[in-house]
Amino acid sequence: MRKVLVGAALALALVTAACGGDGGSSSTTGVGGSGGPVKEGGTLRVAAYDGIDSMNPFIGVNDDSYATYEHIYPQLVQYDANQDFAPDFATSWSHSKDGTTWTFKTQPNALWSDGKPLTAADAAFTINTMIKFQDTVTAGSAGSIARMTSAKAVDDTTLDISFSAPEAAVLGNVQQISILPEHVWAQYAAGDGKALKTFANTPSNDSPVVSGGPFMVTQYDETGTTIYEKNPNWYGTAPHIDRMGLEYFSNEDAEVTALKTNQIDAIESVPPPSVKTLQDANMTVKIGPSLTYRTFIINSSPYKKTNLELQDPEVRKAFEYAIDRQSIITTAWLSYAQAGTTIVPPGSGSWFDSSIQPLPFSIDQANTILDGLNYMPGADGIRVANGHPMTYQVLFPGSERGAGDRAFQIIQAGFQQIGVKLIQKPVTGAYSIMTAPDNKYENWDLAMWSWTPPIDPDFILSAMTCQSLGNWSDSGYCKPAFDKLYAQQGKAVDATDRHDLVNQAQQMVFDDRPYIVLNYNDTINAWSGNFTGYVESSQGFFGALTKASLIEVHLA
Amino acid sequence: MKITAEPGVVPDLDRPRGRGGLLWDTIRRQKAASVGAAIIFTFLILAVFAPLLAPSGPRTQVGPVYGPLSAQHWLGLDDGGIDMVSLLFYGARISMIVGAAAALVATVIGGLIGITAGYVGGRVDGFLMRVTDYFLVIPDLVLMIVIAAIWGPALTHIILVIGLLLWTSTARIVRAQVMSVRERVYVKRARSLGCSHLRIVFRHVLPQIAPLLIANVVLTVAVAIFDETALAFLGLSDPTAISWGTIIEHGFLRQAVSYGAWWAIVPPGICVALLIMGCYLFGQAIEDALNPRLKVAHLSIKGFKVRPADGGKP
Amino acid sequence: MAVRGTDYVLKRLFFALITVFVAVTINFVLFRMLPGSAVANLARVPHASPALKAELTREFGLDKPMWQQYVIYLGQLAHLHMGVSWVSDSHQPVWHYLRGKLANTIPMAALGTAVAIVIGIASGVLSAWRRGSKSDHVSTNIAIAFYAVPTQWLALMLLILFAGVLPANGMHDPFAVGASGWASFVDTMKHMILPSTAFALTLYGEYTLIVRSSMLETLGEDYVLTARAKGLSSWAVVRTHAARNAMLPTTTLIALSLGYIVAGAILIETVFTWPGIGLATYQAVVSQDYPVLQGTFLILTISVVFFNLLADLLYYKLDPRISA
Repeated sequence: MRKVLVGAALALALVTAACGGDGGSSSTTGVGGSGGPVKEGGTLRVAAYDGIDSMNPFIGVNDDSYATYEHIYPQLVQYDANQDFAPDFATSWSHSKDGTTWTFKTQPNALWSDGKPLTAADAAFTINTMIKFQDTVTAGSAGSIARMTSAKAVDDTTLDISFSAPEAAVLGNVQQISILPEHVWAQYAAGDGKALKTFANTPSNDSPVVSGGPFMVTQYDETGTTIYEKNPNWYGTAPHIDRMGLEYFSNEDAEVTALKTNQIDAIESVPPPSVKTLQDANMTVKIGPSLTYRTFIINSSPYKKTNLELQDPEVRKAFEYAIDRQSIITTAWLSYAQAGTTIVPPGSGSWFDSSIQPLPFSIDQANTILDGLNYMPGADGIRVANGHPMTYQVLFPGSERGAGDRAFQIIQAGFQQIGVKLIQKPVTGAYSIMTAPDNKYENWDLAMWSWTPPIDPDFILSAMTCQSLGNWSDSGYCKPAFDKLYAQQGKAVDATDRHDLVNQAQQMVFDDRPYIVLNYNDTINAWSGNFTGYVESSQGFFGALTKASLIEVHLA
Repeated sequence: MKITAEPGVVPDLDRPRGRGGLLWDTIRRQKAASVGAAIIFTFLILAVFAPLLAPSGPRTQVGPVYGPLSAQHWLGLDDGGIDMVSLLFYGARISMIVGAAAALVATVIGGLIGITAGYVGGRVDGFLMRVTDYFLVIPDLVLMIVIAAIWGPALTHIILVIGLLLWTSTARIVRAQVMSVRERVYVKRARSLGCSHLRIVFRHVLPQIAPLLIANVVLTVAVAIFDETALAFLGLSDPTAISWGTIIEHGFLRQAVSYGAWWAIVPPGICVALLIMGCYLFGQAIEDALNPRLKVAHLSIKGFKVRPADGGKP
Repeated sequence: MAVRGTDYVLKRLFFALITVFVAVTINFVLFRMLPGSAVANLARVPHASPALKAELTREFGLDKPMWQQYVIYLGQLAHLHMGVSWVSDSHQPVWHYLRGKLANTIPMAALGTAVAIVIGIASGVLSAWRRGSKSDHVSTNIAIAFYAVPTQWLALMLLILFAGVLPANGMHDPFAVGASGWASFVDTMKHMILPSTAFALTLYGEYTLIVRSSMLETLGEDYVLTARAKGLSSWAVVRTHAARNAMLPTTTLIALSLGYIVAGAILIETVFTWPGIGLATYQAVVSQDYPVLQGTFLILTISVVFFNLLADLLYYKLDPRISA
């Protein structure tokens, strides 16, 4: 069921962040606009991926929600097609010598859709609100304001953001912050800020959501259709299309039929089994790397007291040898996936360390390792380690059903050949089961789940630190040496230095194997011939990385 | 439907005769009953001997994802490249186990409540029947969904959830039967001879209501199987257990329809429908045989068959 | 006899109220049986600081003793406050959220049920009248087959057969901008065909069987024999005596099948993305939004109880033995 939040609890990570040319340089090439005369107008009809769970950025967690915020609100920066940073609301940026203060010049004379001025003050308000309530109401977006101490509008077009220490991941983080209209939201941010979460932010008759992006939402229906109309007041290049409609489908088969029969124009995320059907129907199917990957998790908590053989790096290596990634890719994902290695996915561009190689599928190697450890099989063929059979439960959250069931069965068959028995344990509320008791991660051995981290590796690396126990961590991994690396990369304002540190961190996690990354999923989008000019990203043509796609798409 | 207008009146067979006799008679005399019994029996055989009959294992990948129909794989392959025929055989096992176990739970609960209410009577009866009435009205599949969503997906949960909510019709029927049996001469005689209540219930009352109870169990099995497929469709059944419900769910989750792999989704539905029909025909025929009112019809030519389901759909 | 009548109505009313109370209590108990820590489930955000957790605990009254939570819960329900969705629609109150959904479900389900009732009564009466004939066999067996087919599977079959021919998603074409009132009505009706057909097909089999057997039981009554003896034609007997009397139990049975109708709505709306209360239930299951799930359970239960009460009162109106 794809509507399940990706890695339910982890879904907040879906907001995306930086990569590529960090540093104080400013860039002037905009993302919007394209050459040649194009047909203007039209309504682009899109099938939703998982629906917009809330129009309020402090509540929504679905992919479609983030994509919506990207298109109705300004962000300081966005990604271009090469995953470099491009201007959005900020036209240029620089930082102080010590790297603790960043200054953004913002669009002059910008307006909100209701005609009120859109200035650096709105950006400062949004960031300060997020900082103020980061332990309570705005906890969900705390990652994007990490280490920020305050924001200040020096004048209408100048924003200063201060950090507690030299900060490397600034652009990646501010890319995730949707700037909200202060004149609408200030009343909710008063007092304890609790009201921030009670504001629906939905459009009413003749009164669209106050927007500052290329579109404004005029009609919102979580299980129906949400309409995005062109925002006449937007500061950037105007989109070619008049409007976009995002229609929710609870049945993917119906979605595929709707595209084939011209009831919609594009599908945001095509399930692998439908790719061939759509290709046969002469639809354009675009396949590229995404940020999503599937993990086989080995509980690495230092507090764990049982089945300690699983903490042995050799045993973990044996496990990886016993996983037939190729079968998983062909059977579970119908080949629309790549073999997995590190926790920074290929969708992150240059941050992905392609030199790390997965261990090949080899039952013999795995058996040799386990034999060498003298974990010999008992009468039933199950190996015995430390006096107990090597039988383990694998926690299995509902979001992984379907393809994940197939992946599990393949892993289970491989492990059977090395004398290790796996039992699939479907769970609801996986996160609270994992962290128990008291964020010590004591009560489980193995699990399967998935991640969709932002482009900038800061977030996914932070999820592996000791600090993340009880927060983002779903592996219990905690290692001081890693924490040190993480802290260093966060301060490495120089891009080359940071790359080097990030690679070291990736290698460390790969070797310690809190995760065996099974595969990286492809992002698959499809559209009919009605429109052309879509711009792909690792989140497809409608994502939270860039506004370019909906600006450039136009009638064919 | 889980309600009958009125429970059928027990035929006045004052001397307990062989109960198997009545079942056997019904099967022999009524075509519907024999067809029903044959369907149930066939699926039972398939389920029990699945490991011998199935061409391959229920988790063995034998070909590509959604491989088409072939001489080797009569019903093609599913989304894991697993032989559909084998899946249907093994699926029959879990589906029937869930059905039978849930029906057993329901029958034990419903039987106990029904016997207590009918035999003890008075206030106890009033109270128990009130409780039954409340549960009768609450939409049980919806409640099942809520409970299953909260407990989490596991086969035992599914069995318990279904069983705990399907007992109401059994309780009502059993109660009515017990009340009428209670007044029989030989039961009164037994009581006056000083037999304990427990002994009377087990020696005299239970055998009398056994055929109707069996009919009710069979009908409850059908409902339980039906409910399991519904829960599975919503992702609330146990994904590690292969049942017809989870086979349909997998087909839905993995877009069998738009892939064009109808064979991954059509056959399990037909199996469910066939088995439920079998249970219905069989259970209904027994109930009819026990209901003398249906034997008289002042309009008809022949005397025969179908009354509304007591243990039909919720 | 008026007193007895009022008595009956009051009794039924009281029964309906108690049933709702039972459902409300079940609802409360289930909610407190959530796996894992309630707060962790409430927060849904793993990045929950202790402050946020404390906040939520207070907000949902989880720091109070159980009985007090129960009282708070009852008090809030009395004001239609079913809690706040943890996921959906910007934390809007559950009741507000579900009210709109219910309004979408009712016409679609009502149309399907009405069609099922009409066909069910027709084929049931004919079957009973022609009992034992070939047409009875065929009609009864088809009815049993539709009764036995899993609802969601039947809906998927309709999708396989008719997707592309008829709209299979949502309630109306969301992009028919500026359509006239009539055009948009036609559009909605078109969207309603598949889900309503699925409803009609799953229900009709059961209704046929119920009507047929009610008729058969009635035909066994003495007054039918008397009527026959008076020389009435068999159709006249069916029309004037049997059918009318058979309608009584049929009313009750159809009312009681409401429990099934609401369950069917969950399955059918999921297949056809009909934005009603069934789809809301499915989404709540998938995203583990327990307040919405509890809310749908309550609303569905109350509607079933309500329609039952209606059937009881109708019964009272129709049945001379009660109202006379």
